[in-house]
Amino acid sequence: MKSDDKSIKWVEEPPLGLAGRSYVPLLVGGITTTLKHLAGPKMTVESPEQRHAIVDPLGYRGVHRLNRDAQGRVKCVACFLCATACPAHCIDIVAAESPWPDREKYPESFTIDELRCIFCGMCEEACPVDAIELTSLYDLSGKSREEMIFDKAKLLSVYDQTKDAEPMRSAQADRATDSACPDSGERGEEPI
Amino acid sequence: MATVLIDGTEIEIGDGERLNAIEAAARAGVSIPYYCWHPGLSVVGSCRMCLVEAGTRDAAGRIQMGPKLVPACNTLVRDGTVLVTQSEKVQQARAMVEEGLLLRHPIDCPICDKAGECLLQDYYFEYGQADGRRADIRPFTSRRRDLGDVALFVDRCILCTRCVRFVREVSGTNELLVSGRATGEEIDVFPGFPLANKLSGNVVDLCPVGALADKDFLYRQRVWFMRSHPGVCTRCASGCSIWIDENQDRIHRIRPRENPHVNRWWICNDGRYDYPHVHNPARLVGARQRKGGDTRELDFTGLAGQLRAALRQAGRLGAVLSPFLTLQEAYLLAGTIRQLDPQALLALGPVPLAGEDERYPGGFTISKEKCPNRFGVERILGRMAGGVIRFDHFVEQVAQGAIAGAWVSGGYRQGWIDEATAAKFEQLRLLVVQDLFPSPLSQRATYELGGAAFAERDGSYVNRQHRLQSVAWAIRPPAGVRTEGSILWELAGRAGLYDAAATLRELAAEIPFFHPALGTIPETGLDLLVNQIA
Amino acid sequence: MYLVIESLIKIGVIIGGLMGAAAYLVLVERRVAAWIQDRRGPNRVGIPLTEIRLFGLGQPIADGVKFIFKEEFVPGHVDRLLYVAAPMVMFVAATVLFAAIPFGTVDLGIAGWAPINLVVVPGLDVGIIYIVAVSSIAVYGVLLGSWASNNKYAFFGGVRSAAQLISYEIPLGVAILGVVLASGSLRLEAIVEAQAETGVWNVLTQPLGFLVFLVASFAESGRLPFDLAESEQELVGGFHTEYSGIKLMMYLVAEYLHMIAGSFLIVLLFLGGWHFWGLTGDGPVAGIGVALVRIAVFLAKVLAVILFFMIARWSWPRFRFDQLMGLAWKVMLPLGLVNLVGVAVWIEYLRAPLAVSGLPERLVMAAAGWLLLGVAWLAAMAAAPSARDNRPDLSLVARYRDSREAR
Repeated sequence: MKSDDKSIKWVEEPPLGLAGRSYVPLLVGGITTTLKHLAGPKMTVESPEQRHAIVDPLGYRGVHRLNRDAQGRVKCVACFLCATACPAHCIDIVAAESPWPDREKYPESFTIDELRCIFCGMCEEACPVDAIELTSLYDLSGKSREEMIFDKAKLLSVYDQTKDAEPMRSAQADRATDSACPDSGERGEEPI
Repeated sequence: MATVLIDGTEIEIGDGERLNAIEAAARAGVSIPYYCWHPGLSVVGSCRMCLVEAGTRDAAGRIQMGPKLVPACNTLVRDGTVLVTQSEKVQQARAMVEEGLLLRHPIDCPICDKAGECLLQDYYFEYGQADGRRADIRPFTSRRRDLGDVALFVDRCILCTRCVRFVREVSGTNELLVSGRATGEEIDVFPGFPLANKLSGNVVDLCPVGALADKDFLYRQRVWFMRSHPGVCTRCASGCSIWIDENQDRIHRIRPRENPHVNRWWICNDGRYDYPHVHNPARLVGARQRKGGDTRELDFTGLAGQLRAALRQAGRLGAVLSPFLTLQEAYLLAGTIRQLDPQALLALGPVPLAGEDERYPGGFTISKEKCPNRFGVERILGRMAGGVIRFDHFVEQVAQGAIAGAWVSGGYRQGWIDEATAAKFEQLRLLVVQDLFPSPLSQRATYELGGAAFAERDGSYVNRQHRLQSVAWAIRPPAGVRTEGSILWELAGRAGLYDAAATLRELAAEIPFFHPALGTIPETGLDLLVNQIA
Repeated sequence: MYLVIESLIKIGVIIGGLMGAAAYLVLVERRVAAWIQDRRGPNRVGIPLTEIRLFGLGQPIADGVKFIFKEEFVPGHVDRLLYVAAPMVMFVAATVLFAAIPFGTVDLGIAGWAPINLVVVPGLDVGIIYIVAVSSIAVYGVLLGSWASNNKYAFFGGVRSAAQLISYEIPLGVAILGVVLASGSLRLEAIVEAQAETGVWNVLTQPLGFLVFLVASFAESGRLPFDLAESEQELVGGFHTEYSGIKLMMYLVAEYLHMIAGSFLIVLLFLGGWHFWGLTGDGPVAGIGVALVRIAVFLAKVLAVILFFMIARWSWPRFRFDQLMGLAWKVMLPLGLVNLVGVAVWIEYLRAPLAVSGLPERLVMAAAGWLLLGVAWLAAMAAAPSARDNRPDLSLVARYRDSREAR
């Protein structure tokens, strides 16, 4: 950009008063602030020993978990809405017909690449059965990339680990799986 | 000439045409929602979604509207018909129909394969009420019933009876029926007579909601992940127009593509479930050279030049043009071999036949000829080799030692050639085989090249009704495979990338039978014979 | 022979002390910076291979090991000879500075032993000149490094650094001259002794000179608010952008040594050296006990000045380059000259009459010095512009462009 470019807006420096020209108040102000903080309280949380206090664990977006239904099965119905909503394309689901008589579809495999994930929480928003949730676990680390690709078992174990501290969010938690459909269960009909 | 007034727009309708209000409105650019109507099926008017206001205009221009809404599907338009499709009355009627349908419909869209292309979903957003009046919790599951070829999710059904009409009118097999009365109505089959016919897959496409599910596609992909590519079925000589639905180079399903000249709205199950071979791990990939007992993997760089040199040195050449080749590939292969050896023997590959043509009441035919392009390849051979030489004759010539080097193009499913026939090729000095699957012949080849499957090719096919259809590739071939087109393009010594459109223009200019293909080729194809006469 | 051994011991102590001090001052700086930013700073590394933490006292070892084991990457486009030589020049120049820093003289009380002068080069008559001369060599290290790096950011940094170091050496020298004039000697021992004798430090008698010297030594050591040569935000590190591993460490340590040397000089010239009222006595030679106290006092003062350096870093924002140069030439140099002239006038014309009048000479001089500071400061305030129009002369730009187009 040339210095006589028309798009440049030149801004006048604000004029200094007499005090400003003496520099004294500025110098004193600077060093006063510094000294105040030098002696002031420290914000650091010494992490491994102390833990961050998470004010709202339910709103926190940490490691994912896959919730279980009342019978301990994976709650996910493999609808792919999380994978659709995911802006980082880190969710990979393989759907299949469920092995249980009262459920239709379930995820045969469900993997999240935690390294790809940007923890935006869109998957949680998208989930129609509140099966995927972000916990308040924030210190996620691993020794290899493979280790950071969480499969279904791992995600369910995160649920087992966190279910007491963070109960499932949904009021209608079991809507999907303990179906309210009175006449369901015909699936076991004899093939004709 | 009839003049119809639709939402204030006047359209003209030809004298011989019988259009119902939905079709006439479509011409005026107005879409009327419908579930039960289908252009290929009889009219029942049971869903009531297409209700519109209808009236007449007399010669003086006075408009007299009918007192009640009428179903557009069952209203033939005549001169002076007036239709109003956007009035408050109509919109209210549509919203009520939507609400009624959804009263008993489970909201299990997340696990329903139809979600994303479901008319019930689409129309609810367009015509339904913003606030539902049903406050209780909707069921998340649907009863599932096995109908034979397809699965039925009973609770999702909106009883449009398209499937029932299809098996009565098109396949003529009559398996499906509506059982029960009133709220107990359900689609069902007679005990002991499951839905089992070669067109049964079409009922899944017909179903406007997710009630009928394809067992092959069930839970494989959500529809919004897939891209649809127009294609042509290569399962038989009928050459049905299809959609190839693919996600990340993996075909997940094949659907019929409407083509009034070929397959109308249908395809058979043979074509519909024909894609798994594309992803068969047993496919022939890569290129390799056999010399004595040694096998050497080749790189594609410079391969065409090497093949050309080898063919040039081989002596008397021959080539087998498979009926699975596209016109362009056949033309390039024939041209190149003839250029290298003007006396080369060009033969048509074996034409797989199975039984007899199967005809259905709805005008659908499954050809006995299980290859897509016999007609087109024969025409090319007729021009470039002076006649069609059968494969048996070619094998005889090989066995007699009349040919020293041969190029055999495949593209067949497994098992097209037996050991005894293949053994006769052993005395060739040079044998180049490009095929989809390893065969006794490819194992004897000096050069063995992986070939492309139908969804991976660019090119044109001519079906049994002389209709030429051009398609582009839908998925990329697996790693280590180059399509016939690109290898032959390079073998012919042409610069740049394989260009199917340019090749078609070239062959159309050279071979009189294909002259009509010089112009643009519509999506529904081009009838070469009809255009010859014209 | 005896002298050689004595010198070797002194050199060993000084070098060892300096390296250790530089390493630990890095830790101190990091902790201070952290505290100022409401953090805690490095407090984890203790004794290696144990769980003992010692408030992070092991951190310098870890830092050193890290620097040594890091890949020493030499970019392909550098001038290899100069590239390798530059950090050494810088490092050596910064180290040999300390040869002339006096810690006082100790009399061990052993018969036949002369009092030991606690300085590597005892009795250096041009001590202060030696220090100023050697510290100027640093600019070569910076310039060579930036030139050899063959990188425009490094070169910007080098050019800025050269201009800055050369500019600020003038006020620095002028401020030193005032002290030299008052003490009547170039020997650092003599300057300290002069302050100790009267008990009135030079900072009291020449506050204006002190101010100028302080600002100039900040600039000379290239620390905030004068770190334009290596401003990370603009120049990605400036002259040492292309350096890594042990070479980078040499640069960083040399800069630290410059800061330490500046602190030593401030203490020696203005803050009374080893002297402290009532603790250290005021004679030139001391017994072993008092000598240790003197060293402790001296180091404590130096540490205090270093801490001031560190705190200043987070207190005031970086100058713009034109402001930096303006400050050197338009403010600091005139103020230094005023101080110098004031001291000269005092010594030539006012000292003799004052001695006659019987008033306490040093106190009167201090009063006069502070008066001078106030007046000079007010004058500078009055002369300073209230705002600066920093726009380029657009008509000049246009004329330049026209002439170029015409060509």
